[in-house]
Amino acid sequence: MSGLYDETAAEREMATHTQQESRKGFFTDTTLCIGCKACEVACKEWNQLPADGYAFTGNSYDNTGELNGSTWRHVAFVEQLRSGALAAPAAPPPQSPAQSQSQSQSQGAPTGGHQVVHPDAGRWLMESDVCKHCTHAACLDVCPTGALVRTEFGTVVVQQDVCNGCGYCVPACPFGVIDKRDYDGHAGKCTLCYDRLQDGETPACAKACPTESIQYGDVEELRTRADARLAKLQREGQYTDASLYLRDTGDGIGGAGAFFLLLDKPEVYGLPPDPFDTTRDLGRLWRHAGYAALALVGVTALAALGTRR
Amino acid sequence: MNVSNETLPTAADTGAVPKSASYYGRPIVKPHVWKPYIAWYFWIGGAAGAASVECVCARMRGADALATVEKRAALAGVLVAPVLLIADLGVPSRFINMLRVFKLTSPMNLGSWILTAFGGAIGASTFAELLGWKRTSRALEVVAAGLGPALTVYTAVLVADTATPVWHEAGDTLPFVFAASGVASAGAVGVAFAPSQQNGSARRLMIGGAIGLLAAGAAMEKRLGPLLGEPYRTGTGGSFRATSGALSAAGIVVGLLGHKNRTASRLAATCVAAACVLERFAVSAAGKQSAQDPKYTIEPQRARLNARRDLDLESSG
Ligand code: SF4
Ligand code: SF4
Ligand code: SF4
Repeated sequence: MSGLYDETAAEREMATHTQQESRKGFFTDTTLCIGCKACEVACKEWNQLPADGYAFTGNSYDNTGELNGSTWRHVAFVEQLRSGALAAPAAPPPQSPAQSQSQSQSQGAPTGGHQVVHPDAGRWLMESDVCKHCTHAACLDVCPTGALVRTEFGTVVVQQDVCNGCGYCVPACPFGVIDKRDYDGHAGKCTLCYDRLQDGETPACAKACPTESIQYGDVEELRTRADARLAKLQREGQYTDASLYLRDTGDGIGGAGAFFLLLDKPEVYGLPPDPFDTTRDLGRLWRHAGYAALALVGVTALAALGTRR
Repeated sequence: MNVSNETLPTAADTGAVPKSASYYGRPIVKPHVWKPYIAWYFWIGGAAGAASVECVCARMRGADALATVEKRAALAGVLVAPVLLIADLGVPSRFINMLRVFKLTSPMNLGSWILTAFGGAIGASTFAELLGWKRTSRALEVVAAGLGPALTVYTAVLVADTATPVWHEAGDTLPFVFAASGVASAGAVGVAFAPSQQNGSARRLMIGGAIGLLAAGAAMEKRLGPLLGEPYRTGTGGSFRATSGALSAAGIVVGLLGHKNRTASRLAATCVAAACVLERFAVSAAGKQSAQDPKYTIEPQRARLNARRDLDLESSG
């Protein structure tokens, strides 16, 4: 695109390729997630992050709600029930599918007799979300202090002692990951357990995951593994709608260090369908700002022309 | 709302599940976390930048009283600006970290350098003026005027360089909104404070800037289209924008009709300045609104994806 962008892209290339370590990341296979939230707790515990309080969202089993400055793992729960699948034996009066669903759920078993649950009543989608450690990371690009850096593992980390809490990274991230914390004024997000990686350890969340839904390793190797997994699922025919999200290095963020195998469209999990690094357009933005600046000077000069009063 | 995925097989096609269009309607991108200080800064910094240009233009045609008014306005702006910026930081004592690096990819970093250089030039020029060094003072005014337009428009690049839908998608028009707001405000300052025999050009700037603000705002909304234009028509963003438009119009009318009357002129200047402030608040509020509802993130991205896929199908079929 613009010269400016090329320059920074080259910088990023250097950052990701001249490092001593190979690039590390996560492949999160959502077909294996059981929604236990062990990753959420392990992350909080290892990184000594405060709890989120006792709020209930009413959104399935998700009471975490979102990733933010002090919550770096978030398990999304999506209940996809087929309408009428949980029909009570005594046929209820006709009503809208949504109503019948919520009624049969809220009434549960005590409607007398047993409940018939259709064999393909629907499914649960669960996904443990995390910072994507983007190849082209908007948060890192816009950070005015240089607090956000690319590490030798190709990951994106906030240096807490440099961040001044300007908040620019917050609206810049295309995934709504990074956030400014009220309690210390800094921005916070997943560090991919930088401290553990330096000691050759596995990140706390991946270590705690009981089903290997969160797989940690070299990004190159994880990509191969993900491709194989996708091919297998499609071959076996059980998950024909599976797709890899952020695995493609040609996408708007140049591919992610943390990518996913999803069973539905990204937005169903609260993920953007076509994310991009805003810096991609920075050259064009400055060019138009340049035109506007010229117009400002032109208009001011024009207003002063031909008059002494 | 239609975000359906026509060609790829989805869960719904297999008959298993109903489709959900978003994750419980929760935001996908995070709304900005800036306090109102930042909207005020956008206005004050923008006005100071434009005032420095008007200062030099007035100086060149011998309207020294007007030039001095504009220069004082620019000085006041750069004195207040850092206070507003620091007040918004999570860790105010680390403001200086903004100048720790020079970073081309960060409009906020570049803006900090622009503000520092501009403030230095205006401050030094004022100091030289006090010492009676007229030539130095004038030269520094020209330096400031060279940086002023950048100070006025960089904030538009700053907000557009985010994932906030109504900001990013309006990146081509937003700088013109900010430039018009700066020009109109600098004009309003001249009309309000310069002696009336010298403020003719300031009046033209004020009225021209206000018309420009209305036009640029309309162009921005048109560019955003029916869906993304919504945050500028509804909610807090809509109210701010409507009020700003009404004040601009009032300022233009009163400014034109009452140009011989000092009180009427000052009333017009107040209307225009208030319109400019409210336009910045509208941009801030609409940005927040567009981040809070996921449809503003999902729908344009889906449309782009579908367009790309159609293109692929065409080229392969
Ligand atoms: S997901 Fe967001 S916070 Fe994480 S690296 Fe990418 S831009 Fe930064
Ligand atoms: S809040 Fe901190 S990490 Fe985020 S952009 Fe500002 S200085 Fe950088
Ligand atoms: S890698 Fe570490 S910091 Fe990141 S989510 Fe997992 S436990 Fe938390």
